[in-house]
Amino acid sequence: MKRKKFSAAHYDYLRKYSLRKISILLTQILVLAIFITLWELLSRYEIISSFFFSSPSKIIKTASEMFKSGELVYHSSITLKETFIGFAIATGIGFAVAFVLWCSTFLRSVSEPYLVVLNSLPKIALGPIIIIWFGAGQKAIIVMCILIVIIVTILNILNSFTSCDKQLIALAKSLGANKLQIFAKLILPNSLKDIVSTLKINVGLSWIGAIMGEYLVSRAGLGYLLIYGGQVFNLNLVMTSTVILCVLASIMYLLVAMFEKLMNKFYGK
Amino acid sequence: MSVVEIKNLNLIYQSTKSETEALTDINLTIEKEEFVSIVGPSGCGKTTILSLITGLIKPTSGQVLVMGKTPNLKNNFCGYMFQRDNLLPWRTIEKNIYFGLELKKLASKERKEKALDLTNKYGLSEFLKKHPSELSGGMRQRVALIRTLALQPELLLLDEPFSALDYQTRLELCDDIFNIIKTEQKTAILVTHDIQEAISMSDRIIVLSARPGKIKAIHTLDFSPDLTPFERRKTEKAKQLFDVIWQEIQNEKKKI
Ligand SMILES: Nc1ncnc2c1ncn2[C@@H]1O[C@H](COP(=O)(O)OP(=O)(O)OP(=O)(O)O)[C@@H](O)[C@H]1O
Ligand SMILES: [Mg+2]
Repeated sequence: MKRKKFSAAHYDYLRKYSLRKISILLTQILVLAIFITLWELLSRYEIISSFFFSSPSKIIKTASEMFKSGELVYHSSITLKETFIGFAIATGIGFAVAFVLWCSTFLRSVSEPYLVVLNSLPKIALGPIIIIWFGAGQKAIIVMCILIVIIVTILNILNSFTSCDKQLIALAKSLGANKLQIFAKLILPNSLKDIVSTLKINVGLSWIGAIMGEYLVSRAGLGYLLIYGGQVFNLNLVMTSTVILCVLASIMYLLVAMFEKLMNKFYGK
Repeated sequence: MSVVEIKNLNLIYQSTKSETEALTDINLTIEKEEFVSIVGPSGCGKTTILSLITGLIKPTSGQVLVMGKTPNLKNNFCGYMFQRDNLLPWRTIEKNIYFGLELKKLASKERKEKALDLTNKYGLSEFLKKHPSELSGGMRQRVALIRTLALQPELLLLDEPFSALDYQTRLELCDDIFNIIKTEQKTAILVTHDIQEAISMSDRIIVLSARPGKIKAIHTLDFSPDLTPFERRKTEKAKQLFDVIWQEIQNEKKKI
C-alpha cells in the first residue's frame, strides 16, 4: 500500500517541504552561532565589559574546570534529583487527585474554590512556612517544587478529563460501560494530548520549583551556584550555571517529546 | 411478550433555569420483529423516547418496559445508533467496530469475524486500518451501524441514521438495513425527518405532536412483504400516505 507511485507534483511538494524544514533548522543554528560569535568578539575586545557579561570562551573554561573538579556533576545532580523527584511526585499525585475529582462531581464542586485560590497564590510566599515545617534542607526544596507543579497539574488534567464529548460518553453508557471503562477507553485516550502537554509544562515548572527552593535554603545545587556567584560577583559562575541549566532543561524536555512521539505511535496517529 | 411497552409515560427535563416538558402521556406497544418509525417536528422528543428505551434517562412518571423489564444500561437489549456517528477519532475503523464488543466483554474471535463480514459487505474492508477522519460521512455512518449490529441486539434504535448521507447512498443503505433487519428478524425503531423513508421501511409510523410530544397519529402500513423499500416508495399507496403525514406534521409545525 505504502509503495505507491506518486505524481511528479507530489515529489515536488515533498522536495519543497523538506527544503523548508532544512532552511528553518539552518536559520535556527545560524542565529545561535551569530549570537555566540558576537558575544565572544564584543567581550574579547572589551566593547562590552567581560567582567559583567562574561564570554562564551570563559564559560567553556569555567565549565571544564568545574567538570574536572567534579563540581559540575555534583551540583547538577543535586538539582536534577530535586527537580526529578518534585516532578514525579507532583505529577503522580496531581494525576491521582484529578482522577478522584473526575469520579465525583460532588468533590469536584467542593474543591473548586480551594484549587482556584491555591493556584493564584504565589508559592514562594510559602517559603518561610515550608522551611519551618520541613527544615532548611533538600526536603523543603522538593516540597516547594511539588507545590508549584501540583496545582497546575490537577487543574489542567481535570479540565481535560471533563472536556470529553458528552455524546461519546452517552454512547459508551448505552453500550453498558462502567465508570472505569469510560475512563480507560474514552477519557484517557481523549486526554492524551493534554496529558503530554501538561508533562511538558511540568518539566519547566519543576525546574522553577527546584531553583526557587535552592534560592531559599540550599548549600548546593545550580540554584545555589547562581546565588553564590551573584553574591561574590563571579559572573562567569553565574553564566556557566545558567548555561548548564539550559542544557539540562532541554534534555528533559526532549525526553518528554520522545515520550509524546511514542504515545502517538501507540495510538496510531 | 412485547419487545417494548410504554405506559402513561411523561418526561420533564429539569434544569436550574427551567423545566422542559418533552413528552406527555405516551402509550405505545411494539411487538417482536416490528419495524416502527417515529416522525414529528424538530424538538418534539423523538430522541428522548429512544434514550428512555435504552435506559439513558428515567421517566418522570409512567413506565417503560423492554422485553418485560425496566431498561438497564448494564444489560440492555438495544443497539442504539445515535444521530451522530460518534466514532472515536483515535481508534482505527476496525477498533471502532469492536468498541461495543470490548465494553460488553464479548470480543470473541467469532463475534469479531462476524463484524468483519459486515465490513466486507459494505465495502469498508480496505478502510479497516484507517482513522474515522479519513472516511466520508456515509462510510462513517456505516461503520457506526456495523458497530451496533456487531452486538447482535434484540432491538435496534436508529436515530436519523441516514441524515448525513447523500440521497443515492441513503436509498441504498435503506434497502440494505431493511434487508438485514428482516433477515435477522430484529425489532427496530427508526427516528427520522424523512417521511418517505419512514413509509418505505416501516410496519407502523407514529406521528408525534410538537413539544411536548404526544402521539398524534398512528399509521399501520400493509405493503406486500416482498417489496423492497425502494419499490415501496414508487407505489401509489406510499404517495397518498405521504400527503396525509405531511399534512399532520405541517399542522403541528404551525403550533410552534
Ligand atoms: N438534557 C436535556 N435537558 C433539557 N432539555 C432537553 C435535554 N435534551 C433534550 N431536551 C429538550 O427536550 C426536547 C426534546 O428533545 P429531543 O432531543 O428528544 O428532540 P428530537 O425530537 O429528537 O429533535 P430533533 O429532531 O431536532 O433531533 C427539546 O425541546 C430539547 O430542547
Ligand atoms: Mg433528535
